[in-house]
Amino acid sequence: MLIFGTIQGALLALLALGFSLVYGVGGVLNLSHGAFYLITAYVFYWTIPLFGMTISAVLALAVVVGIAAATFLALIKPLQDTHIGVVLVTFALAFFFEQFVKVVGDPRTHYIVPYVPGPVEFLGVRFQAQLVILLVGSLILVTLVTLFINKSKIGKSIRAVSQDAEAAKLMGINTDLVMMTSLMLSALLVGFAAILYAPGNFIAPRIGWGYLLLAFAVTIFGGMGSIPGSIVAAFIMGYARSFSDYFISTAFSEIIPIVVILVMLLVRPQGLLGKKELQ
Amino acid sequence: MMNFEIDLDSSLRRFRTWALSYRGTITLLSVLGLLLIPPISGSEYYAQVAITAMIFTVFAASWDLLAGFAGQVSFGHSAFFGVAGYVTAALVRFYEVHWVLALMTGASVAVLFSLLIGIPCLRLKGPYLALGTLAFSLILLNLFMMGTILGGTEGISGLPVSQNLFMDFYLILAIMIVSLVVMRAIADSNLGTVMKAIRDDETCADASGINTTIYKLIAFMISGFFAGIAGSLFVLNATAVNPAVFQPLYSFYAIIMASIGGLATIYGSTIGSFLFVVLSESLRRLADMALLVFATVLILVVRFADEGLMNPILERSQELWDKIRGR
Repeated sequence: MLIFGTIQGALLALLALGFSLVYGVGGVLNLSHGAFYLITAYVFYWTIPLFGMTISAVLALAVVVGIAAATFLALIKPLQDTHIGVVLVTFALAFFFEQFVKVVGDPRTHYIVPYVPGPVEFLGVRFQAQLVILLVGSLILVTLVTLFINKSKIGKSIRAVSQDAEAAKLMGINTDLVMMTSLMLSALLVGFAAILYAPGNFIAPRIGWGYLLLAFAVTIFGGMGSIPGSIVAAFIMGYARSFSDYFISTAFSEIIPIVVILVMLLVRPQGLLGKKELQ
Repeated sequence: MMNFEIDLDSSLRRFRTWALSYRGTITLLSVLGLLLIPPISGSEYYAQVAITAMIFTVFAASWDLLAGFAGQVSFGHSAFFGVAGYVTAALVRFYEVHWVLALMTGASVAVLFSLLIGIPCLRLKGPYLALGTLAFSLILLNLFMMGTILGGTEGISGLPVSQNLFMDFYLILAIMIVSLVVMRAIADSNLGTVMKAIRDDETCADASGINTTIYKLIAFMISGFFAGIAGSLFVLNATAVNPAVFQPLYSFYAIIMASIGGLATIYGSTIGSFLFVVLSESLRRLADMALLVFATVLILVVRFADEGLMNPILERSQELWDKIRGR
């Protein structure tokens, strides 16, 4: 149970990190975040028979990062000033991808065979070996991204823009470029989540919304735009879900993220480690 | 519009000048066109499409009142819609209450709900408010899905089917026009001015002695009331209700329709929802492709018409009309 909680937490961390990053940098509420997961999973699924695992994984990641860049340039950048416009356009985009997958593929549920076969036994618990890959991969990625944001030059400008976009612009930082980078980074993370988690699980056109909600819940819990906050929150949420799976019922764990959102919003709107905004 | 000493003569005169102005003429012509749909087409199908569009107009306008004027963006408008729908359905089905009474009760319960949602959520701002309301509607959805409350996943069905669809058509048309005019009147009144002040700068409104919490709650209640009316009408028209009315999709429908028409216009919702409903009906033949095409159109509209469609189109066509008349 603890192991499942950790694995859930790892998945949630991948999902929420990108979401939180994009919100923190540009104040962009990216409702197509779940659709990025969806599209990666499907591209991966479609191309496996053609190219095999490794190449199709790379291809799927490339596609989703490309889509993120195109989304930013074509849709988000022109609408940046109207808050509601961005929300609407990303919502429409998510809707678009859901239908796209339905039309190009088919509306049925598919199963991707895990690329690491066989169950593993650890401390008396049996689970898919695929999940170990997810755990390890997620840890590596989260560490890399945190390092990237804290140490690299681009990371520095990302942090600058998230603190004060106008001041950053005055200091000669190309804020649009920074926004685009962070959106691409977020797509990359969510793409990795899809590639690591989708095999061994079912995929269907509607799954994007569920992952979006999870990312939302974790981000609010941890504080909008706070990266360490989302990582901590992801693991707490993961444990909470697996505990309620175990002790109460699976149906109940579906509501957990929503209840967490609500309680958190009411008690501490800025989230666990969020910064309080000045008026 | 808010002075209540009605001087019949002068209001008639005002009505004439308004009707002869460009916008007035267009409005009256559209209403006339709507009135003529049943007798000319004589088909129940067209009437039904128009009824759906009119119900969604009220729903979208109620969202527009809250978001466009008071600046409180709600993602959970389906909560009001669904709650009122459920109350109406239960009253009509189980207690055989007359539908008018059921409609009003449904709308009043929606107002109560808007207080319930509004009081905790109004401490939140911007995206947080949107998410809080979204969370409320999702909780309602899950409650109705999981439990056995009012029929569980099946919902309530078998409401009395109306005898005469055209009769319904005119009734709903009347309700739509009255609701739109009332909402517009509210938006143009002192209350509307206060709401706009809160939208534009809440801190400043607070500093000017406006009790922002009370006014935001009032805006929530008015909006919840009209959303409730729309929900009740929707359920009465569909003769059934199930937990799907709570799904966020309906909230987004309202948002989409209001923004296609143009934010903070109220009347724009008519254009948005008629376009939406007619488009999705006419694309039905394409089956799976329909929603894909629809999503594409949506992206294009949001991307290229950030003011909505109504005002730009009216302005352009007015210029054209003036040119034709040689002014």
